[in-house]
Amino acid sequence: MIMRTRRAFLRDLGLSAAALPFVSGLPSLYGAENPAPRQRLIIMFSPNGTLPPDFWPDHPGELGELKPILEPLKDYKERMLLLKGLSNRIRGDGDGHMRGMSCLLTGIELLPGNIQGGSDTPAGWANGISIDQELKNFLQKNSATSTRFGSLEFGVAVPRRADPWTRMVYAGSNKPVAPIDDPYQMLNKLYGKMKDKATLVGLLDDVSDDLKKVSKKISKEDRRLLADHLDLVRAMESELKRADDKKLVHPEPELDPNIELVNDNTPEVSRMQIDLLVNAMANDMTRIATLQYMRSVGQARMRWLNVEEGHHSLSHEGDDNKNAQDKLRRINTWFAQELAYLTKKLAETPEPGGTGSMLDHTTIIWTNELGKGNSHTHNNIPFLVLGNGAGFKMGQCHDFKGQSHNRFLLSLAHSFGHQLKTFGSAKHCKDGALELG
Amino acid sequence: MGSFNRGADPTRQFPVPNQARKPILPQESLLPAISPLAFPLNAKHAFPVSRKIPRMRPPSLPLLLAVLLAPLTSCSEKPGPSNVKTGQQIYSEHCASCHGDQGQGVDDEYDESLWGSKSVESLARYIHKSMPEDKEDTVVDDEAMAVAHYIYDAFYGPVAHARHSPPRVELLRLTNNQYRQSVSDLLGSFKRSQHLSPDRGLKGRYFNSEKMNKEKKSILERVDPEINFDWGKGIPAPSMKQSGFSIRWSGSLLPAHSGTYEFRVRTRNGALLLLNSFQGDDDKAAFIDAYVSTKNVIQQKTGRMDLLGGRAYPLFLHYFSYQEKLASIQLEWKPPHGAWKVIPNEFLSPHVVDPVTVVDTKFPADDRSLGYERGSDISKEWQEATTYAAIEVANHVLANMQSATPLNREQIKDPEKVRHFCHQVAERAFRRPLTPEQKETFIDSRFESQSDPKIALRHSLLLILTSPRFLYPGLADNPGKPDSYTLASRLALTLWDSLPDQKLREAAAQNKLQKPAQITAQLRRMLQDPRARQKMRGFFHHWLAMDEREDLGKDPTLYPDFDQHVVADLRSSLERFVDEIVWSPASDYRQLLLADYLFLNPRLAKFYQADGARNSTFDRVTFPEGERAGIFTHPYLLSANAYHNNTSPIHRGVFLSQKVLGHLLKPPPEAVAFKNEDFDPSLTMREKVTELTKKESCMQCHRVINPIGFSLERFDAVGRFRTRDNKKPINTVSDYLTDNDQKVRITSARDLANLAVASKIAHRAFITHLVHHLTKQSTEAYGSGHLDSLREKFADSGYNIQSLLVEITSMAATHELDRKTAAASSN
Repeated sequence: MIMRTRRAFLRDLGLSAAALPFVSGLPSLYGAENPAPRQRLIIMFSPNGTLPPDFWPDHPGELGELKPILEPLKDYKERMLLLKGLSNRIRGDGDGHMRGMSCLLTGIELLPGNIQGGSDTPAGWANGISIDQELKNFLQKNSATSTRFGSLEFGVAVPRRADPWTRMVYAGSNKPVAPIDDPYQMLNKLYGKMKDKATLVGLLDDVSDDLKKVSKKISKEDRRLLADHLDLVRAMESELKRADDKKLVHPEPELDPNIELVNDNTPEVSRMQIDLLVNAMANDMTRIATLQYMRSVGQARMRWLNVEEGHHSLSHEGDDNKNAQDKLRRINTWFAQELAYLTKKLAETPEPGGTGSMLDHTTIIWTNELGKGNSHTHNNIPFLVLGNGAGFKMGQCHDFKGQSHNRFLLSLAHSFGHQLKTFGSAKHCKDGALELG
Repeated sequence: MGSFNRGADPTRQFPVPNQARKPILPQESLLPAISPLAFPLNAKHAFPVSRKIPRMRPPSLPLLLAVLLAPLTSCSEKPGPSNVKTGQQIYSEHCASCHGDQGQGVDDEYDESLWGSKSVESLARYIHKSMPEDKEDTVVDDEAMAVAHYIYDAFYGPVAHARHSPPRVELLRLTNNQYRQSVSDLLGSFKRSQHLSPDRGLKGRYFNSEKMNKEKKSILERVDPEINFDWGKGIPAPSMKQSGFSIRWSGSLLPAHSGTYEFRVRTRNGALLLLNSFQGDDDKAAFIDAYVSTKNVIQQKTGRMDLLGGRAYPLFLHYFSYQEKLASIQLEWKPPHGAWKVIPNEFLSPHVVDPVTVVDTKFPADDRSLGYERGSDISKEWQEATTYAAIEVANHVLANMQSATPLNREQIKDPEKVRHFCHQVAERAFRRPLTPEQKETFIDSRFESQSDPKIALRHSLLLILTSPRFLYPGLADNPGKPDSYTLASRLALTLWDSLPDQKLREAAAQNKLQKPAQITAQLRRMLQDPRARQKMRGFFHHWLAMDEREDLGKDPTLYPDFDQHVVADLRSSLERFVDEIVWSPASDYRQLLLADYLFLNPRLAKFYQADGARNSTFDRVTFPEGERAGIFTHPYLLSANAYHNNTSPIHRGVFLSQKVLGHLLKPPPEAVAFKNEDFDPSLTMREKVTELTKKESCMQCHRVINPIGFSLERFDAVGRFRTRDNKKPINTVSDYLTDNDQKVRITSARDLANLAVASKIAHRAFITHLVHHLTKQSTEAYGSGHLDSLREKFADSGYNIQSLLVEITSMAATHELDRKTAAASSN
């Protein structure tokens, strides 16, 4: 009963899957028309470093028992790859957090600027494109791989400010791209007018009645205008009804309409964003996506985990502060849970127009701007790969012992057939892509 | 086209000896028509005189319809001569076979209906000379006069024509502009008043920073006239710290015109611009984000926003400099039709207002087939636009419940409070109290079927905003018996293009809009509102065809300094000129035509070689005796009506003749291109035009057009005064025909302006254009005598434009009352 009410409620708001018309100019929305296998990339970010002993396996090689933070992902161990020992070696202006964030996907230095961190010199934006945007451009150039959006940038609880701590995606040097952290805004971007028109279906009858009523009161000559108007309202109504017959491969997700974008609703917002992300990929609106949780130095108070302190402050606590360690473990495990939800959705969704599941054609990267919060190290940055899209050999943990993370970014490019020689700062790409096959 | 040359055919014999070979036609008649705005002025070398070539019809085209350049005066009541056949008999015998029994036209003969503004005498002369086609000798002299009288009274004259298709006040939908204004005011009616003090500039609060931009110490607070600072290595004020300081500016933006504005923040440092958002919305995405600087070089970040003119928009600019050698910030804009510049002082206020709801949804252009925009067409695109716009507004309200509604955080959850808000919205949108049935349909039923008040609110808003009761203001009327609500609705729509404000709503509720004095008092109050000024600016854009001028660009080799900044300044100069005249106490229409001054800023003063403009803003600069005459010689219009490399007496003549002098012109009988290279290069422009238009068929119109254009030949293609053209002295002397067919010698624009000031036809043209712009209805719609009565009142008021606005609005609002009074007195 409750479910029925909720559905009716959503439909009234225009958020039901029933009416998805009017995008006939967007064939990719309906999927199944492009038989070539798809390859996708999702990069998920969480901030302030991890707890290395609770994240990394004790030894490289085949993955054995997972450490506590990765516990939620245990069902996907066979499809997981852990890349230990990668370092963000970019130096120059900006503090560790800034470079950690803005050089993470760009692999290049920050420009000098006016933003002062806790230490080091002030800095500005990154001086180059990020790997996701590089791959977006690569896919968009080819009609067989191009999609309506090319890439989508999702955010969860990202503060509304633009600085090198809040941006990891760059369209080019000095060109940060803002994530959309409002699921309603994202829904509107994906399904905008269709949804709104659907809202009107129920109202058009009333508009017609209203027109008929007022028409009676006016002169014959003036009635012509209202008659034209009435015809158009009826035309729109029948257009909407016809459109009901046409269904998406995957109906748009239903969003609870009453979630305020406040800190305490972060878990709900996170799931809404993941639903939208998987849906957009299922309908082939994009093959590249980023999912950014908070920001570097983020102070989210994760009260839903019974953590009252801000995340960044906690991450500064020493290794001997058991209480802080426990909370940080809960925080990082929660991110892993969200990742597990994303992975599960992809694993359970059959690949549209292809074989296997969506996860078979998708590469998910989970990463962080720091290796460890309290040391601010750029060594051992967490890079966790899930899914089989890239064709990497999975179920492994490698230890690259301090290699530059630029080389991994190159590997990602190569996995899409984009044979770059260098990416980001060339001096960090010396030995080329990492061997991950 | 042979028949057009008949008048010049030397072999033609007139049947009446004493008139033989004398030009029998008054010179103002038989002017081939011209569509003045159809010529592309920027064509490189050649242009068609008209793109609209009348459909050719073998063997020849009767010219009767081309005769339209004549006063509207009528002398139709004279009895026809006796002892001859009646006009009607002659007409059926000789004319009806081609023109139809009611002048409606006959297919394959002459298929246009016969009506126009020529006098009976002119008609008679024309019939005498040229009708019937190929048998011109059959109807002459008295018979021509008789038939002229007959057709004039039966269907040709304005009164007779009106009788056949009685004009009426049509039901119209809101125009796009009216829609946007109404929505802004509908939601604005729940916000704080936009009333602002006359102070200008932005309030700035200056701080020294701790670390990057923490406002550690307030140093000073002041009003900055505009944001245009380059401190170099220095500091904005004494005791500020070069190593780190910040400034927060706040206030409002006051755009004069509606349209798309571009904004630009230029800074070496960091800045955020918030425009049209609530104060304290710092965490919302900034409109322009230039927070992060790079290498201390100037960054330019731009944004674009649609704004409605005559309203204030809250503006916040947050700026900081941190460990940077150089500091600078500029806040610039590019208004519609303008050029990039620092936002001038006059468009900034140090007071913060509430944001304005501006509908972004794009609407298809309104119908302009009658020469002015009106809401007479219903298209799929328009219906969809109203739907999308309703969704946009509903979404906006739902996303900004606390700022867009009068409800606080708790009240939003209370269905009764939200429902009450919906009642108020509907009442204001429909311009009158709701009937119980309307309350039920538009609001109550939504709340009964929904437990969530937000969803009910959304449904209710969508229904209200897509309702014909909102979209067609005329539906709020009580047909035949306008009550105070109807009056309030009409006054607001006519003078403001919007909904009644609180004072009008109160007056309506108290039924205090029934007496003429009450209406006049309201109108006088309403004139002071920025929306009235906005509407008048729109009128001048329409009347002077300023909206059609996108590009005044000239040949850069001939006019190297005439760049986009000069063009933008000229436009401002003209706008300031009309603003100044209309809103001065005298509000004297004659000054529009006669003023011997221009508003110039230093850039324009330099370009037009005038002294006196010293301020960075515009100053009034008077020109030597007789040189300039109001809009006749404003350089913006002189440039707009000229070629890219030369003057164009034809364009100037047609423009002034139609718009200002009030002549009706129709498209020319044949398309003639002005090809500069076809002429002897030593000729002056006047000589070339004279040569080009020398054919009689051309001269029928150009007899009027050319003298006007020639009188302006002392102004070059960019409106600068000159004494020579093509190395020859300029001849501006011509004979001009007045309203009464009097030949008058004119030697300058001022002579022409003086004639216009005295011309009733010119007055009527001005009033007619104003009626169209204000009411979106034809002047005849309000009854036949109104135009003349408005003109008389206009003259009696000393040609006071503000009084005219009051008269027109009040006439339009009370037209049924007027008719009743008239009917009562005639019974």
